Amino acid sequence: MTPNLPGVTISITGIGSVSPYGPLAGLIPQSKLEPSVITAWKADGLRRAFLVKPFRPADVVPGLKTRRLDRLSAWALVASSLAIKDAGIDLSQVDRSRVAVIFATSYGCVELTAAFYQSAADNGWSGTDPSTFPETLANSPASHVALFHDLRGPNITVGSKGFAGESALLQAASLLRHGQADLAIVLAGDTLTRAVYEWYEVADLLSPACYNSEPLPEDGGFVPSEGVAALVLEPAGRRQVGAETRTYANVCAGRWAAGGQPAETIRQMLGGSVLSLTICTSNGAPCATNATTALAREIAGDGASIIPPQAVAAGLVDTGALLHLILALSTRPGSGQALLLGTSLGTSGDSGFATLLLELP
Amino acid sequence: MSDIQKTIVVTGVGVVSPYGIGLDCLQAGMLSGKCCLAPTKDLYPGFEGTTAQIHELPLLAEGSRSRYSRTDQLAVVAARDAVADFDCESVAFRESGVVMASTVAGLTEIDPGIAPDPAAWYRRGGLSRAASYPVAHVADAVGEHLGIRGPRCAVSVACASGAMAIALAANLLLDGIAPMILAGGSDALCPFTLSGFNSLQALDPSPCRPFDQNRKGLNLGEGSAVLVLETLAGATARNAKVLAVLRGWAMNNDAFHPTAPQEQGNGLAACIRSSMEMADVSLDEIGYVNAHGTGTPLNDIAEANAYETAFRGRSRPIPVSSTKSYFGHCLGAAGALEAAITIAAVRCGALFPTLRLTDPIESRGVDWLRGEVRRQPLPLAMSVSAGFGGSNTALIFGSVRS
Repeated sequence: MTPNLPGVTISITGIGSVSPYGPLAGLIPQSKLEPSVITAWKADGLRRAFLVKPFRPADVVPGLKTRRLDRLSAWALVASSLAIKDAGIDLSQVDRSRVAVIFATSYGCVELTAAFYQSAADNGWSGTDPSTFPETLANSPASHVALFHDLRGPNITVGSKGFAGESALLQAASLLRHGQADLAIVLAGDTLTRAVYEWYEVADLLSPACYNSEPLPEDGGFVPSEGVAALVLEPAGRRQVGAETRTYANVCAGRWAAGGQPAETIRQMLGGSVLSLTICTSNGAPCATNATTALAREIAGDGASIIPPQAVAAGLVDTGALLHLILALSTRPGSGQALLLGTSLGTSGDSGFATLLLELP
Repeated sequence: MSDIQKTIVVTGVGVVSPYGIGLDCLQAGMLSGKCCLAPTKDLYPGFEGTTAQIHELPLLAEGSRSRYSRTDQLAVVAARDAVADFDCESVAFRESGVVMASTVAGLTEIDPGIAPDPAAWYRRGGLSRAASYPVAHVADAVGEHLGIRGPRCAVSVACASGAMAIALAANLLLDGIAPMILAGGSDALCPFTLSGFNSLQALDPSPCRPFDQNRKGLNLGEGSAVLVLETLAGATARNAKVLAVLRGWAMNNDAFHPTAPQEQGNGLAACIRSSMEMADVSLDEIGYVNAHGTGTPLNDIAEANAYETAFRGRSRPIPVSSTKSYFGHCLGAAGALEAAITIAAVRCGALFPTLRLTDPIESRGVDWLRGEVRRQPLPLAMSVSAGFGGSNTALIFGSVRS
């Protein structure tokens, strides 16, 4: 994304999340979080992950009905409601045909997909459950968000290896810049199921911290996580002066590629901008020496303020960008220019990257 | 931005369909009136119905094929076809982006054996098969196979996916995020989706009859289409042949029901109107609509109502057909395949009829195309897609002269 529509500043004005910290509107209060013991399925020994503690969505969002939905859809509904509330937006005063929903996910509704496979295993393909099938679709969470809030703008579900969250943010900013929506609800997240956890396990991707109660090590694998983070994006000045709005950050520019020369490309994007903060978003081990942090140092210099990937967000392998951003804003709000930066190693050895230049007011 | 920086053009079209590989093959097959739908029994025990299958696919490069799902393979074959005449060593090509749509993605590689004990299933050889499960894998397969390193993204919005991938790619080009973008959709037939639609009683056991009063449901098909999109400025700079102009696009949502369309088709009508506003064209300038036209009772009536509303005020009925009557509903690939068909219609001045349409839905504002192919100059045509979850997308393609 180049800043090719001068005068259109895209602001992040609302935050909501359903994460291992619980369902929250706005920033996440600082607290140390350790992985929880998995009890949802029988495992051969201790298994840990960053899990969302069970809660009743209707206790958080009155009137919400989620009984037949995948948890991913339920969390998207809760997170979007919390973000809209945090933004102080009264949807009854908004042209809802101009509100977009952009949802990023890696695995989609895996819980009900597994249930559908189970019904096929139990009854054969001829005896599968018709009520489950539509809810297995990856776009179900975004469509439920549209249905619940009556949002009739573009409704988009995206995936991108390592960068689904960043991709959703960039595409939302694009819709707003091009006047295809006036307001965008951006969501990113995944649920952790047995099939996903065991895939990581058999692929030997997990941290030792998944198997014992020791604190998180500095490197070697990651601890899977789950949750949905939501942001409200809108053009700055959309609402009247005097309306109660808070701007968490402005989205100034972005770059995203599956390979090439990340440092050179990002420097080009930055122009003369001086970074006050770099927020690393990365799948894999959260540690000070990982590839994203190294790239951040290369761009911003040794003395720069860099927030390394946070374990709880890094466990959302493709969709952690929004939670990384929320956690960074929660711990170090600051001001000035900030870089949201993620990297991913492609299967062909190319190092992909995605980055957004943010202005923190 | 100047006009040529804001104008999005199509400089490549790749297709793999039951007719074979290539847009010419698809076009020739459809002009001949050949229907690819056939009785099918072997897709899972107990299934009997009508589908359109692709029986032969070229082998892909040694070493990479094992990582590709069938959906990935279809996408890669279509993408290779789209760029067959390109200079694949150029910087512009290397920095291209990929936006691919799918709903099935790697579900083709997974079986119910995964459900009771996933770890055991992975250890039995399922690990690399399951790696292709995320929808993003389809975009990665295309990008990696072609050696391009721009942004990669997958789109999954049920049956509107393929068209939406094209619309999103157009937005990204306007943002200058890549010099060109390969955009399209791919989906393969698999027991998961066949069983799902069967359980919903949405399948017609016989070849489907979109927009007919006696329609009974849809047939599933498989395939892929990939368009190469770039700005007119980019295409001109590299002296590329322009096949069509993407004049307008729009996306919205019904926000009505998780699976059913809103009967009056108001959301779809609004989407169609928005695309015409963007293209800055009048109601009378659109010469043909390639409809979503699944053949299900609810979809087709909602769509007919949407055309009545969207084109109200037009001097003559809008010509509409559903080309799903030729090779079924290819789900996430449908919107991209129908975009390719719409481009073919514009290029050869052919309005493809709906097959087996004998008793059309009554609709005064719609000219239901049936019988023979109608030949006429077609400067502008529209492709319309809709899907579960209420997503709608409309694309307007124009001839180069338009």
